[in-house]
Amino acid sequence: MKSEYILTGGRVIDPYRNIDKEMDIGVKDGKIVEASAIPDAEKIDVSGKVVCPGFIDMHVHLRQPGNTAAETIATGTMAAAAGGFTAVVAMPNTSPAADTAGTIEYIKRHTAQDGVVKVHPCGCMTKGIAGEEMAGIGSLKSAGVVAVSDDGRCIQKHQLMKHIVQYAKAFELPILDHCEEDGIKDKGVMHEGVWSTLLGMQGIPSAAEELIVARNIIMARTIDWKIHLQHISCRESVERVRIAQKRGIQITAEVTPHHLSLTDERIKKFDTNYKMNPPLRSEDDRQALIQGLVDGTITVIATDHAPHTETAKLVEFDYAPFGIIGLETAIPVCLTELYHTKLLSLPDLVSKFTKGPADILGFDQSGLAAGADADITVIDTETEFTVDADKLRSKSRNTPFKGMTFKGKAAATIVDGKIVFNEL
Amino acid sequence: MPAKREVCNGSEVQAAITRVADAIISEFLSDNPREFAMIGIHRQGVPMAERIIAKLESRTGYRPQLALLDISMYRDDIGMRKSLPIIHATTIPFDMNDTAVILVDDVLSSGRTIRAALDAVTDYGRPELIRLAVLIDRGNREFPIRADYVGMKVDVSDDRKLAVEFNENNGQDGVYEIDWKKYRRGDH
Amino acid sequence: MDNFKWTRKDLLSLYDLEAEEIEHILDTAEEFKKVSQRNVKKVPALRGKTVVNFFVEPSTRTRMSFELAEQRLSADIININANSSSLKKGETLLDTARNIEALQADLIVMRHSAPGAQSLIAKNIRCGVLNAGDGAHSHPTQALLDLFTIREKKGSLKGLKVSIIGDILHSRVARSDVWGLIKLGAEVTFAGPATLVPKEFENIGVRVCHNLKDALVDADVVNLLRIQHERQKRGFFPSTNEYAKFFGLNEASRKYLKPDALVMHPGPINRDVELDSAIADGPQSVILEQVTNGLAVRMAVLFLVSGCVEK
Repeated sequence: MKSEYILTGGRVIDPYRNIDKEMDIGVKDGKIVEASAIPDAEKIDVSGKVVCPGFIDMHVHLRQPGNTAAETIATGTMAAAAGGFTAVVAMPNTSPAADTAGTIEYIKRHTAQDGVVKVHPCGCMTKGIAGEEMAGIGSLKSAGVVAVSDDGRCIQKHQLMKHIVQYAKAFELPILDHCEEDGIKDKGVMHEGVWSTLLGMQGIPSAAEELIVARNIIMARTIDWKIHLQHISCRESVERVRIAQKRGIQITAEVTPHHLSLTDERIKKFDTNYKMNPPLRSEDDRQALIQGLVDGTITVIATDHAPHTETAKLVEFDYAPFGIIGLETAIPVCLTELYHTKLLSLPDLVSKFTKGPADILGFDQSGLAAGADADITVIDTETEFTVDADKLRSKSRNTPFKGMTFKGKAAATIVDGKIVFNEL
Repeated sequence: MPAKREVCNGSEVQAAITRVADAIISEFLSDNPREFAMIGIHRQGVPMAERIIAKLESRTGYRPQLALLDISMYRDDIGMRKSLPIIHATTIPFDMNDTAVILVDDVLSSGRTIRAALDAVTDYGRPELIRLAVLIDRGNREFPIRADYVGMKVDVSDDRKLAVEFNENNGQDGVYEIDWKKYRRGDH
Repeated sequence: MDNFKWTRKDLLSLYDLEAEEIEHILDTAEEFKKVSQRNVKKVPALRGKTVVNFFVEPSTRTRMSFELAEQRLSADIININANSSSLKKGETLLDTARNIEALQADLIVMRHSAPGAQSLIAKNIRCGVLNAGDGAHSHPTQALLDLFTIREKKGSLKGLKVSIIGDILHSRVARSDVWGLIKLGAEVTFAGPATLVPKEFENIGVRVCHNLKDALVDADVVNLLRIQHERQKRGFFPSTNEYAKFFGLNEASRKYLKPDALVMHPGPINRDVELDSAIADGPQSVILEQVTNGLAVRMAVLFLVSGCVEK
């Protein structure tokens, strides 16, 4: 692998430094350098492409340890690379759950062995994600977690949640929360609305999310700490976050590519690849989420990449696990739904995958400045991409975008100067 | 050969019906007259039975009762075709038990329709006897079945279809030989 | 009409069917109804065919009706109930269905508590699949027998006002009836407690009301649904007494009923809760005729789909 090269002729978009112009980017020994400093290095022509700081997916399930039939750190990070991500945040609902330093060390060791992109572990808020007792948050921090979350579940005991937010604040760990009130969700399997009514399936009301969004806003305000709302899905959540942010409360939110592009009507054929939690909601909700991105209320797009085997998914809709994969379709879906529709400028879209998550997680803000790690995502905004589930790098095939055609995709992914995915 | 060729015209059809009616009269209504009923097999056996009944009534004054029989539920080729035939109404206005009945159909070929009709009829009761009247016997028999009263015999090769049309069913009285492949292609 | 061709190997929900297909089933059922009125109540239409009644959720009436329909069509029958099936051993539904297919079964009649379970099977195996109820989603043969009964009594569905009263939220009968009724031109009202009659049905042109009188006045057909006590425990309504008082068809509320209105019920009836005995057994009731017609409709559907199952 070459240790010096220059990406030439690309449109460089660096949201960390508000740069959007054609320029060359030099890479040497894993770091960004001025192109003029390495005049004899090999030139890689990226004209017509967009060169960005490495994309971060702050919501990924790598399934290792525990469910390596669905995904491993090796396959999950390969999928991340193919999707244009240089770093992912690994959710802790593995088996065992990532609630001790030992599990975090296991993940770091396997990432060092098999990881294709950077893996930032996220630790649990409660032991075993059971929502009963606080996990060893301080030890998790020492072991290297970048945040804590009980993703997949939601702590229902408000006093426990309060203690966790207070405790995590002292260790400067942001809270990533899956917002869902269990009582009103009950046994719901899809959005409660016209389609759940017509299909006779138990619904998950938007209120299940909104109730906990409201709780978390109260926590963030009273404790004055960062709570990031994972994968918000409905209009009401966006509106509450918008108001809270105006009041200076440290609340942030992410949205997934599938909630931005699909609605509950898709479920009418009972395809379990449209079953995820939070569920696909109505067109009105989808529009509100897009509006939240456009006006800056929502600063992050994250995939909630949730691999499941075909055996697990090819069952009755009621019994299928929630979740879909998303790493390899995120950029195509977002370029098609947000950029080519002119809803979001390219720099604003890139920011949702870079500066947005980095701000919340306290990551390095140098972007493509000289001296920074050479984590780079190169995008082709114009190429056509049809999702062939059998060609995905992920070990699982549970994508709702199977067979769909999008415009744009990742063209190359560079991690610490190493080109880990290359379609240039 | 064209896709559809006339084999018999309207007056030949009428003459054939008269032959069938005459044969029935000589068996049932001449020396020792006795009662009987007729069973028209959907679809073209129905107008044919009605024609025969009209003829019998004008010749003898006797008007046998008419049952309409759909044999779709008794066919032996369910699942062998792309789609099922439409089921028409079966109506039997008399008690089948101990009644002499005459089955009526337009064309006798393989004998499979009549086999199905015999099963259907016997499910409704135990007739005293069953006779079979057909307008045309075209040969090509696959089952050991013969008609008692035949309007006419027509020789056509196996791959041709014979179609009988009656004024009553949006057609014009006549018998037509159809080259099925050409007909489907729309050459007619 | 004579050019119509039935082409489906499965009957999953009335939502999928065109009005013409529904009418064709009803027309075909008229002939099958006559079979049951004969001395020999049997035809050889499904002779040599194997039908598997695969009930992953218990059922008495529907299973009995299907089984008798299959016998009257001369099919060979296997019954599999959830308790005796391998589902308990952890096999997936699709694997069980593939095993049934491997036995060269032709048709699977299936009931399941999960909406869409039959769609999963139908998409993945060669056998024809008849939905005998999937959770609260669909129960197409129940809807067809309701349509058949109404058509038989009223001549046509067009312009009729049909009110379905009770626990709409959990009712596959309501969700099936509604599509058949709308497609054949009837006007549908859903009525019952606000917790059990979702407003969302207004999106498909159903009138939703929470007042029994509004549902009864002008109705040509009233279909009462069974109210389950279990719903009371989950807080959908306070008591069966209060339910009967506000939403039951009884001596007090029958005065709103048109004299020629039909009274229907999919059974089993909670007598004197959703429907008073006097009315259930009275001249306006067609409840037992629904049962008779159910047999004819199921024979028709079995006959039609069996013609489209590939070898």
